[in-house]
Amino acid sequence: MIKRLLIANRGEIAVRIIRACREMGIETVAVYSKADKDALHTKLADQSVCIGPAPLSESYLSMERIISATIVSGADAIHPGFGFLSENSKFAELCEKCNIIFVGPPAEVIAKLGDKQAARNTMAEANIPVIPGTTRAVYDVQSGKKAAQEIGYPVMIKAVLGGGGKGMRSAETPEEFEQNFITAQKEAANAFGDNAMYVEHFVMHPRHIEFQILADKYGNVVHLGERDCSIQRNHQKLIEESPSSALTPELRNKMGKAAVRAAKAAGYINAGTIEFLLDENRNFYFMEMNTRIQVEHPVTECVTGIDLVKAQIQIASGDVLEFSQKDIHLSGHAIECRINAENPQEDFRPCPGTIQDMYLPGGKGVRIDSAIYAGYTIPPYYDSMIAKLIVWDENREEAVHKMQSALGEVVIEGITTNVDYQYEILHNRKFLNGDVNIDFIEENGKVILQNLE
Amino acid sequence: MKLDNMFKKNRLPESRKTVRRKGASRPEVPEGLLKKCNMCGSAIIAEEAKKGYYICPKCGGYFRVPAYVRVEMIADKNTFEEWDKEYPIRNPMEYKGYEEKIRDLQEKTGLNEAVITGKIRIDGMEAAIGVCDGRFLMASMGGIVGEKIARAVERATKEELPVILFACSGGARMQEGITSLMQMAKTSAALKRHSDAGLLYISVLTDPTTGGVTASFAMLGDIILAEPGALIGFAGPRVIEQTIRQKLPKGFQRAEFLLEHGFLDDVVSREQLRERLSAILKLHVKCPQVEAAEKETENESRKKEIMAVKIQKADAWERVQISRRKDRPVGSDYLQMLFSDFVELHGDRLFGDDSAVKGGIAFINGRAVTVITQEKGKDTRENIRCNFGMPKPEGYRKALRLMKQAEKFKRPVICIIDTPGAFCGIEAEERGQGEAIARNIYEMSALKVPVLSIVIGEGGSGGALALATADEVWMLENAVYSILSPEGFASILWKDSTRAKEAARVMKLTAQDLLERGVIERIFPEPENFRAETMENLTKDMKTEIIKFIEKNCKKLPEELTEQRYRRFRRL
Repeated sequence: MIKRLLIANRGEIAVRIIRACREMGIETVAVYSKADKDALHTKLADQSVCIGPAPLSESYLSMERIISATIVSGADAIHPGFGFLSENSKFAELCEKCNIIFVGPPAEVIAKLGDKQAARNTMAEANIPVIPGTTRAVYDVQSGKKAAQEIGYPVMIKAVLGGGGKGMRSAETPEEFEQNFITAQKEAANAFGDNAMYVEHFVMHPRHIEFQILADKYGNVVHLGERDCSIQRNHQKLIEESPSSALTPELRNKMGKAAVRAAKAAGYINAGTIEFLLDENRNFYFMEMNTRIQVEHPVTECVTGIDLVKAQIQIASGDVLEFSQKDIHLSGHAIECRINAENPQEDFRPCPGTIQDMYLPGGKGVRIDSAIYAGYTIPPYYDSMIAKLIVWDENREEAVHKMQSALGEVVIEGITTNVDYQYEILHNRKFLNGDVNIDFIEENGKVILQNLE
Repeated sequence: MKLDNMFKKNRLPESRKTVRRKGASRPEVPEGLLKKCNMCGSAIIAEEAKKGYYICPKCGGYFRVPAYVRVEMIADKNTFEEWDKEYPIRNPMEYKGYEEKIRDLQEKTGLNEAVITGKIRIDGMEAAIGVCDGRFLMASMGGIVGEKIARAVERATKEELPVILFACSGGARMQEGITSLMQMAKTSAALKRHSDAGLLYISVLTDPTTGGVTASFAMLGDIILAEPGALIGFAGPRVIEQTIRQKLPKGFQRAEFLLEHGFLDDVVSREQLRERLSAILKLHVKCPQVEAAEKETENESRKKEIMAVKIQKADAWERVQISRRKDRPVGSDYLQMLFSDFVELHGDRLFGDDSAVKGGIAFINGRAVTVITQEKGKDTRENIRCNFGMPKPEGYRKALRLMKQAEKFKRPVICIIDTPGAFCGIEAEERGQGEAIARNIYEMSALKVPVLSIVIGEGGSGGALALATADEVWMLENAVYSILSPEGFASILWKDSTRAKEAARVMKLTAQDLLERGVIERIFPEPENFRAETMENLTKDMKTEIIKFIEKNCKKLPEELTEQRYRRFRRL
């Protein structure tokens, strides 16, 4: 049983985890950088430990400092949140060595799934459809080009250790391939310190459909339905929904079973997400498995009624899953909009600053996960996401109406946000019809921006 | 708005507050998992640094490496055969507590003494190795350290093995008094015999190398490498500061400082060290199987003679101008086109390292040669670094050092010449520019290996001859070689430097003029628009000719070579 848990993260997810712990009677320890002295998670936790200056490498990414803070504060577990060290197998391994409970899968599982190529191979072996692509890492343009020819254009070039859209480029012709491969590889080397790449077939206009799973230490695995995260800008998700309007119950069943099979094949424990691409002919392909809690987990919570963060902590404590697949029922429809401190009219430039005043909506079926308050100064060093607005209602249409209404109520003074941009998306005809895929923003972004003015 | 203490914390039942997890052990950092970097002070995961190259992941600083780990970093897997592993403790001065101290250290470090010696392979090539370990009385050189090194060197001499010594030492071992001092002589003498047998000694200096070790085996390498940032010196910085009552500048006595001052061949990062050692060993493997020069020789050389005839009559002044063109290929271009596996060696071991002269060892057609080039640089920054191709005395002395080294290892010497002249300046005179040039001519005239010099651009006077007292001198079509620049000539004889154009004509400085006068042996025609990008055909011919030159002259006895060189200049 976990008694005191250290949250190795900041922002809304840190607050989200602290709330779960407060409800579960677990003491919380927040860690913060000097720039986050006044952050909400720092204030809300039972105790807070400053772990260094603002730069990530010296604070939230410093394994040594976080481990030290854990020992000093007497915590017995670490929740890594998302981003930062959440998918760092070395960190998980370090926790294991120090006898600290890491709220997430075992280090070796993280390592295995973090290597995208190895993960694909594992999945292919477990009979889960994968996108045709290279089976081994590619390091130079020429062999990449040869592989692309065999796979067939268009192709996607990805960093083996990639994530968050970094080190990722598509190419439709050999000429384009050459240039984009070099750019992607450079980006990968800079971002991940590794220039191993792979090339795969580029699925045209797919939807991004991901399945949430929960797995305990005893081999029980359930899936909690899907999230449709097709509204993305530069591979960064903007809006997530559950369920997806593209899935029939049969397809959901089929994909869900594949997701459970994937988790079992990986020897997975704790909460995880299997990402699929769904093409226009309803073929789905495994993309990757995320070994952390996701930003968009609240939509799943809304339609299943299961608290995922609490479930994570329970699984890490060694509890058996309280439910099996037949107990999981998706009810209603949930939508999440990410609210970022950024200026859509200036190429989504981050806009840190002080929130002079603010008003956030509420009411039945409206949920806000945020880390901001009136008077709070958003530091310029970290991610620009400051809040998530989540709504739930009986069906998609009503949920959309609720989201439109809620977004219309949001007031955040002092900084520029993407709230109005989201408001426009919520009124886009294609979006209303559920006619979306991952190219939605690329194709409609201009019109949305124009409507903003 | 301040949120301090606004939120209510959970009320925990009294029982919860004190009860800790029972049975299960509490979280704790296992002993040795985290360590503090002694350079930057950050906490680091010790295992990470140990798995790699003992480099701090935070500041990039180098930790000292235990001797056996160092062997593992350098040697092919499981090839280390240790020599003289166990040695009984000696206490020559009967210093109180010394034996206990040694015994204590033996237990702590698992070492018998401050050095381990033996034989390893690097990429399959055998070498004798000695590695000092700073954990053992700061690797000070006591009798056993000296003895083990001397014995390893003696055995290497007998077995004809190259020697690699990793130095790291505080210096002499005080507890052993005069015995310790004598180890400097003992190790140096053993290395002298090893060297006289024509064998290679590579010294690698690691942090810190000081005192009696610096003043003996550490500084005697044919090739001396050092790790970045290593402290290297005779007197320690603290002693110097106390003696002269001055604060020493930053970087004083660090490896980079020594490189700049001519005492190191190179500073090599820990990650690249094994590869560099392998490259150097490969260049010193005895009697390489030299493939017969390519078959096209007959045809090709005939073609060349025809081409040589085709050389256009151009005005001498025009050639002077072409030879000075900024986009003409420079020494390093030839280095790249003609040779492979080049290992650059720096410094004159006296004063400095001159960038206007570049030297090192490389392969041509499977044979190791010493290559020395004069460098002008390709852009303004490089021009300045290379002093526009005007060498200083340390440049010539570096060249001479490398030529003497070539003589020891029986390697031919190829010099690529391109200089407006030796540098004319106060510091050049202070350090004896004239002496340096004279010494080079003097020594080169009797060098026991073939020497070939190729003038690729400007052959400016003594500055060129100091690298051209050779068996043969070749020139490019538009290269010039003269007693002085035409400007200087006009100014001395006619008191008017503007008459340079006229001077160029009377000076007989073109390749054609010099070939006719027997000053040079061969001319290579240049393509039109001669640049680094268009030099391939020329260097291909040149390479063929160099290979032929080497094969022809390597067959000759040293006396024949020196006699031929003597005659060559005697007749002029």
